[in-house]
Amino acid sequence: MLLYKAWIETRVRFFAGLVATLIVCSYYLYAHASLVLMWSRVLEDPKWQQLGWMRLAIHDYNYYLWHYLYDNYLQQIWCLFVALFAFGGLIREKQDGTALFSLGLPISRSRWLYTRLLVAFLEGCALSVFSIFVIAVGATMFHQTYSLSQLFAHTVLMVGVGFFAAALGNVFYTFFPSNYISLILILAVIGAPYLYIQNYVQHMRANGRATWLAYIDFGHAMAGPWHLTWSTVPWMTIIVMAILTGVLLATAAIYGDSIDY
Amino acid sequence: MSTVIETIQLRKKYGDYEAVKGLNLSVPKGSVCAFLGQNGAGKSSTIKMLLGMIHPTSGSGTIFGHRIDRESESLLIRQKVAYVAEDKRLYDYMSIEQIIRFTRSFFPRWNASLENSLLERFELPPARKVRQLSKGMRTKLALLLGFCRGCELLILDEPTEGLDPVAIEEVLQIVVSLASEGTTVFFSSHQIAEVEQVADRVLMIDRGKLVLDSTLDQVKEGYRHIEAVFPEPVEERDFRVAGIEKVRTNGRTVFLLASHNVDTIVEHVRMLRAGSIDVLPTSLKEVFLEKVTARSEHASL
Repeated sequence: MLLYKAWIETRVRFFAGLVATLIVCSYYLYAHASLVLMWSRVLEDPKWQQLGWMRLAIHDYNYYLWHYLYDNYLQQIWCLFVALFAFGGLIREKQDGTALFSLGLPISRSRWLYTRLLVAFLEGCALSVFSIFVIAVGATMFHQTYSLSQLFAHTVLMVGVGFFAAALGNVFYTFFPSNYISLILILAVIGAPYLYIQNYVQHMRANGRATWLAYIDFGHAMAGPWHLTWSTVPWMTIIVMAILTGVLLATAAIYGDSIDY
Repeated sequence: MSTVIETIQLRKKYGDYEAVKGLNLSVPKGSVCAFLGQNGAGKSSTIKMLLGMIHPTSGSGTIFGHRIDRESESLLIRQKVAYVAEDKRLYDYMSIEQIIRFTRSFFPRWNASLENSLLERFELPPARKVRQLSKGMRTKLALLLGFCRGCELLILDEPTEGLDPVAIEEVLQIVVSLASEGTTVFFSSHQIAEVEQVADRVLMIDRGKLVLDSTLDQVKEGYRHIEAVFPEPVEERDFRVAGIEKVRTNGRTVFLLASHNVDTIVEHVRMLRAGSIDVLPTSLKEVFLEKVTARSEHASL
């Protein structure tokens, strides 16, 4: 029943997430032909020859899907919505005035917290499975072939590592119980470093240099390399992100236990 | 008689403000215990501490022997306690039927026949959303969700607030009926008449301190108003006798509130050469007002 309650409370956000996922995936499936045409023209110009990824994106549809969806827009949309799914819980109920009813039930505060996070995780899973469905239907409509196993592998990686966003969303909401403030903070605290770290680490990787920032390259850990195998999975970054997620969950639980309602 | 609720030197501070000041409570099993106090006296803070919703600043307490300040034990407490909060806010996106089903799932001893009976008596339409209910209907629903849990202890914070007189009467009857089946009831209220109707024990709290802990019978039998008229004006200091709770003088007339030792007090007044002495029974409301105003006056001095 707790799952049911958390679902009722987040279902509007979930359906908004489905719509956003549908729009992002559909757009890049639809735009494939025109982007390929544009890159072909660009590559004809000798000064753009070094952009090898364009060549790869033209010839390999799996790379194209990974580049635009799993390494960019789908990942960002997914993270944003999973953080939004994790907003709320007892802190929100404190504002709504229903916390006393909830806390009068024989349910521990940690169970309330973890139920909310479990629902955020399940909704995140549903969102990612929905994106596979949209890609599968869209690719068929546009007569493209793709590797379903790679889609699943990238989805598993995105959901597994991306749960960090849910934990972060919940912690922000716990400390700043307002949808707008928490959202702005999430965008500021995770968005800016996320983009910076991703670009910086990509640049260093392209130049064959290592940096410790690679261990917290959240975006790369979610996307992985475009062709995922057991040996190409960024295990170390995943372990670091898992530890950070654990720290955030413990912080939310400890702080949540100390709140007076 | 065993004790269901017990607190020892329970304190709660919000910043510099001390809402509960070393409260020592004891509620016997099977009693209907009223918890009286003015707004801001510390009633809700005490109840919230008992149920683990706020953390005591110091002191300790137990319910059914489980410590209130330990989360794991608080969970055991809430399995045995039905609590209805003061503001009766419920999940407004659920229907009555949904919130009953939701609450029922956590209480294996849920009383389904009482649920059906109360749905009918309170005229609650199962399909209606909580957000569409009036304040009175929401209060009735919150009470239904508390009453039907089949718990050993019922804690009600202002249970009849917002109800019409007919509904109040129904609620009080249900409280009496649950108490007769062995449920211990601990309820806070401003309505002295309700307390006199159902309670057998009274705890009075003022500014975070317990000012009265007695059975209702003891209050009714023990407390007396003594009105004496003297030939000469007298002073309050002449009435320092055990049992005198409050002294009020008006020229040659003196009003005393005695909690016990009435015979000795009357004898003392007679020795002061009072012309006439009247010993009158007193109501709980008068005791409450005297206790609270006595402390208020003392505090303002």
